[in-house]
Amino acid sequence: MNMDALHALVPLLCVVAAAIAAMVAEAFRSPGERMPIAPLGIIGLLGAAASTFLLWNHKAESFGLVIADNYGLFVTWTLIIIGILSIALSIPTVEREGLPAGEYYALMLFSLSGMILMAMATDLLVIFLALEVLSLSIYVLTGIRRDSPVATEAAFKYFLLGAFASAFFLYGIALTYGLTGSTKLDRVAEVFSTTSLASSPIHLVAMGLLIVGFAFKVSAVPFHMWTPDAYEGAPPPVTGFMSTGVKAAAFAAFARVFLTSFESMHDDWSQVIWVIAAATMVIGTVVGVVQTSIKRMLAYSSIAHGGYLLLALVSANQTAKGAILFYLLTYAVTNLGAFGIIGMLETNERPRDQIRDYAGLWTEHPQLAALMAIFLLSLGGFPPFGGFIAKWYVFTAAMEAGYSWLAIIGVLTSVVSVFFYLRVIVMMFMTPAAGPMPLPAVPKLAGAALLVSALIVFYLGVLPTQVMNWAAASIGTIF
Amino acid sequence: MPSLNDYLILSAVLFTIGTAGVFVRRNLITILLSIEIMLNAVNLSFVAFGRAFGTVEGQIIVFFVMTVAAAEAAVGLAIVIALFRHRESLNPDAFTALKW
Repeated sequence: MNMDALHALVPLLCVVAAAIAAMVAEAFRSPGERMPIAPLGIIGLLGAAASTFLLWNHKAESFGLVIADNYGLFVTWTLIIIGILSIALSIPTVEREGLPAGEYYALMLFSLSGMILMAMATDLLVIFLALEVLSLSIYVLTGIRRDSPVATEAAFKYFLLGAFASAFFLYGIALTYGLTGSTKLDRVAEVFSTTSLASSPIHLVAMGLLIVGFAFKVSAVPFHMWTPDAYEGAPPPVTGFMSTGVKAAAFAAFARVFLTSFESMHDDWSQVIWVIAAATMVIGTVVGVVQTSIKRMLAYSSIAHGGYLLLALVSANQTAKGAILFYLLTYAVTNLGAFGIIGMLETNERPRDQIRDYAGLWTEHPQLAALMAIFLLSLGGFPPFGGFIAKWYVFTAAMEAGYSWLAIIGVLTSVVSVFFYLRVIVMMFMTPAAGPMPLPAVPKLAGAALLVSALIVFYLGVLPTQVMNWAAASIGTIF
Repeated sequence: MPSLNDYLILSAVLFTIGTAGVFVRRNLITILLSIEIMLNAVNLSFVAFGRAFGTVEGQIIVFFVMTVAAAEAAVGLAIVIALFRHRESLNPDAFTALKW
């Protein structure tokens, strides 16, 4: 076998190797011994990052199933950043709750390998397998606090709806295979663009089933019911990880499938996704306003952010394609930071996840309050933070593509969403604390991860040109 | 000799039965079984298409799907056991710690 065929898989193999190393380390750990498993995972991810730099612009392909084009690599970078930050931010939670470190980090890394595979896959079957690899690990991570009834229930709801949705997704793949005789994306694109059958009922059914599968994973309305429950029940760093990583991987595959294979049917699917995007933005924002738990509030905020990404997907022009990548990166770093802080404020006695628990944070822990304010303002789309540029980029794309109504809905919901982000900030800065807020010492690595996230959010808001150019350049390689 | 269409109709019917089962049945294990029925309905489609095209691709895909289904069942049952330890019940209506 030619070794060149494996080049595209190197980043993926680095992550899998780190995951296996974490598992083996846990197996050989004598009871009571502390092992640096988290740094081990971070080293593996740095290796993966290095290999993606070497692969940039090479368009390596493996077995016709996995391609390391610049688009896949950009998403892989985003995923590696998500992985590194998640592992670093997990350290306080894992130690405080006494979670099994080896299993925890191994599952996180396995899930990350599924995400990377999903971003690079060029075959519907591989996309399905990657989706399952990432989902199965996340289901377990959600319920890793087995002694907590809430966590177990969250894991079960997530699992049930996830397995249900993946059956629909698989049926969509089966019908596409039946129509085209192949599951390879380029072959499917060829058949769909040449046959006059496009838009026959069975095409529409296949397309609809695939949309259901993807919409579930990106938690778009009406497939969002699991999101608040799963986000509330999981440990906060896991919530941060799944709200960003799953979204990034699923959007990468969503865009790749619908902008290549189903490109010729854009008129059909754009109408469906128009409605889903509008509903997602509106429901995510409106229901977010009435939440009293900060985790559920951020869950609805994450649903609304999925709506803005769908808005970019519908637009489907060059600006929009770059905007999806830029938005995913910005959103990932911001949301991870916010959930990282929630995780640090939790204590064993109380999850501290109500918005009123944040009263007086500014006087008690000014650094954390300032960082939280930065993340929330960026999520709300305030300049000079990354979230502002990302939203502006998406709305510009929609206007260029002629979807002005959708852009108007987007801007309006984004204005409304400012209300619930500001509510937390007002709580933190202007309301006196109800009682003392014990805070366990923040480990250096986790503190550094928060600081780095905040710096990236600033950087993307003030000097976005470089990253925007990278995003635009990565799009050029596939579409 | 049944035609491709017969297999596809059977597969669609099985898929619908599975979907209905997820919504109608009030027992976690039965709901898991309904999801398995859905996956196997899809497998039937793959095999039927593969046979109609005269290629092995469709049959090979089924092996992957079966592996995934097995892994899914393992994780699903593990979560059900963890859940049962807390509630001593398999009725999904008993799980109300989180609002839908």
